[in-house]
Amino acid sequence: MTTKRKATKKSAKPRSTRAAMSVAISKSKPVKERVAALAEVPLAVCESDKDLQATLNVLRDQDEPIEVRLASLQSLQAASFSVIAFESCRADYIATLRKVATDPNPELRQRVLGILAREKDGFAQKKLLEGLQNPTKALVPPEKALQLLSYDIHSEAYSVARKVVENPPNEDAKREALRLLAADAKSAPLFEKLLRDKNENAEIRQISAAALQALKPEKLQSNARDILLDDSDYDDIRATSLTALTQFGDAEAVAKDETLKKHVGKMSEKGGAKVKRSARQFMSKYGR
Amino acid sequence: MTELESNNSLSEDEFASLITDLAERPAERHQLIELLHEDHPIYDQRGAATIVRMRGWILHTLSKDQIKDDELIFVLEELDTGIDPYLVAAAAKALRSYPNPKRTFAPFVVHALANIRYRDEPVSFSEYGGYGDETTILQELLATLEWLGESARSVLPELQALVSQPAGLSKKLLNRIEKIVRSLEPVNDSTESCCLRLRDRFTWEPRSRKSCTEIESVLFEDQNHELTTFAEFFKGQPSIVVFFYTRCDNPLKCSLTITKLGRIQRILVQNGFASRVNTAAITYDPEFDSPERIRGYGENRGLLPGPRHRLLRARDGIDSVRKHFKLGVNFIESLVNRHRIEVYILDAQGQVASSFQRIHWDEQEVVNAAIELLDESKQVQDPNSQIGHRKSAFGNTFGLLASIGFAFFPKCPICWAAYLSMFGIAGLGQIPYSPWLQPLLATVMLINLGSVWLRARATERMISFYLASAGAIAIISSKFSESLKATALLGIVLTLAGSMLSTFSGRRQQKELTSH
Repeated sequence: MTTKRKATKKSAKPRSTRAAMSVAISKSKPVKERVAALAEVPLAVCESDKDLQATLNVLRDQDEPIEVRLASLQSLQAASFSVIAFESCRADYIATLRKVATDPNPELRQRVLGILAREKDGFAQKKLLEGLQNPTKALVPPEKALQLLSYDIHSEAYSVARKVVENPPNEDAKREALRLLAADAKSAPLFEKLLRDKNENAEIRQISAAALQALKPEKLQSNARDILLDDSDYDDIRATSLTALTQFGDAEAVAKDETLKKHVGKMSEKGGAKVKRSARQFMSKYGR
Repeated sequence: MTELESNNSLSEDEFASLITDLAERPAERHQLIELLHEDHPIYDQRGAATIVRMRGWILHTLSKDQIKDDELIFVLEELDTGIDPYLVAAAAKALRSYPNPKRTFAPFVVHALANIRYRDEPVSFSEYGGYGDETTILQELLATLEWLGESARSVLPELQALVSQPAGLSKKLLNRIEKIVRSLEPVNDSTESCCLRLRDRFTWEPRSRKSCTEIESVLFEDQNHELTTFAEFFKGQPSIVVFFYTRCDNPLKCSLTITKLGRIQRILVQNGFASRVNTAAITYDPEFDSPERIRGYGENRGLLPGPRHRLLRARDGIDSVRKHFKLGVNFIESLVNRHRIEVYILDAQGQVASSFQRIHWDEQEVVNAAIELLDESKQVQDPNSQIGHRKSAFGNTFGLLASIGFAFFPKCPICWAAYLSMFGIAGLGQIPYSPWLQPLLATVMLINLGSVWLRARATERMISFYLASAGAIAIISSKFSESLKATALLGIVLTLAGSMLSTFSGRRQQKELTSH
């Protein structure tokens, strides 16, 4: 009973940052304890240069258990959210991330490249592009590289993404390449083609519809109308087309389009549940 | 076509070798400067990060030798508007290679410090494209502040504010700033005589302006989907034109430009010029920037759209507009990969009369430049008026004759008769002695001097003014003493030289600007 009470008392009292930090960087402590200690220190990481360097050392050291390295990364990442307080630590942090970006551990590599890519870091972009152009140098899978490159519309990823769409290594990569190209005005014809291709999978066609809405909304409207008038097209994409016209359509033009309204009127009575629901929303906006 | 223009498909390694090669040939330094122009073909179809590496390496290479006056604008531009650590660090380093520190530089360095301090990053100049950690952007900026020494006095309040509220600055950097502040605190008179005049504004005289015929029919769509051609909107009255694009990720460029255009519109309204001067913001990225996007972008930044104040996108692409204005922009696919800040003032014929480039411009100065063109429009509309250099040449000649007249003006009626008999023109003996003519000639001489000063200031060649001033002083002194009588002749020669130089330097600058 007494022991239990002591234990409760002990756990209730938070340990000092110094104590947590000494556990976090001690190789002799169990992994779980170190991970827990690192979770406690984010705000203190940048308080002293010694603590910062110790945490960065843990992240860099390939002999450290990966769980501890990932925890130190998380701790540093959390600290970096306090932009002003982190000012003096940022340069060392970024330098360490660039070193760890080529680490043998794929999870750590991917996370680090993700952080750098969000900073629009030139080093990370260069590595990701190299990997897409030459898979033997790839640090992350192609779909991940494309996703990370899409954080910066000014990266050189459009031409690489187009090549991936033409000759995709896998479906995920094609999907990410299309998402990236959704910011490229010159890709509008590609999206139009994919949207009308009944042999494409529904997700690719929906991505194409969303991209067209961003790039050429008038093209989406005309294509959505054609899709709705084509009874042989799939329910998923017809529901997407209905939503596009209901939410973003040229209200005046759609309201005057009797052929379309008559067709959608029929869809609201027969067809899949999703199509019926979308058709009813369309009709409630544009009337019969 | 230069060596570099034919090499726009160079790999980055080849580019680095070429830069090293050019740096070894001092006679080819101008090619390095050419490469700093955003519209250079070498930047076509490259990503923004690649361009940062390329430009940073050029700045670093330039800094190995001394930075020259005409190269400074590229360095200061980066400190003024740059947000990429590598480029700003390269600019800070390059500035230190200028022969001596100038007061003009200090605000740029402090501005860069404020812009970039929360984006500190390791940078390396040991090899092309290197991402090592030999220095950081903040260290480079502080090194430049230290190099400025006494010339940084004007930014002492900003540095003191930084010391009093250091936020997250490291102790090491803070110590360096404190040391700089301490060195500036004892008030010493600066011995620096004058500041630098940056070449961020260009002006074209009416006769040397490029015709806009080639883009008169270019069709624009405004924020409300309304269509207008270049000629319809820009001809008839002066215009202020800025360029931007909504996806620009540098808040110190497009976003700030549009915000400042909003301020310009307010100044025009306050001064009653809103209906007499057009304003337009034209997007570099017309494929993506739909009317809705540009409208939202303008509204969010305080623009006041109206029939004479519009946000525009070129319906058939930006190419013809880009070519006509020689825009400082380049693209990857349809997206801008790099651009400069640029504002153009168009005359009532839609021709570019002046432009402000690279460095942040002052709203009132831009408005003044447009208002000056309103007077010019009146002259153009009046068929009896003489425009441009004819008027100026007439003014100079008249002023010169007035100076001669003043120098030899007789003091009394007897002298007047003596002059006439000396020239043997007895027939003119009927001309009455007119003492009122002397102050009139003196006034015209001073007006001529003023006109030479204005032209000298505009051309940045003050020698003509100094000569004309010396001439005027010599002529006036000759009036006070008989012994100084001979100086009148010297005065006339100096005035003649000053006036002639003023006229020719004005024309020479027009030619330079036209070729630019």
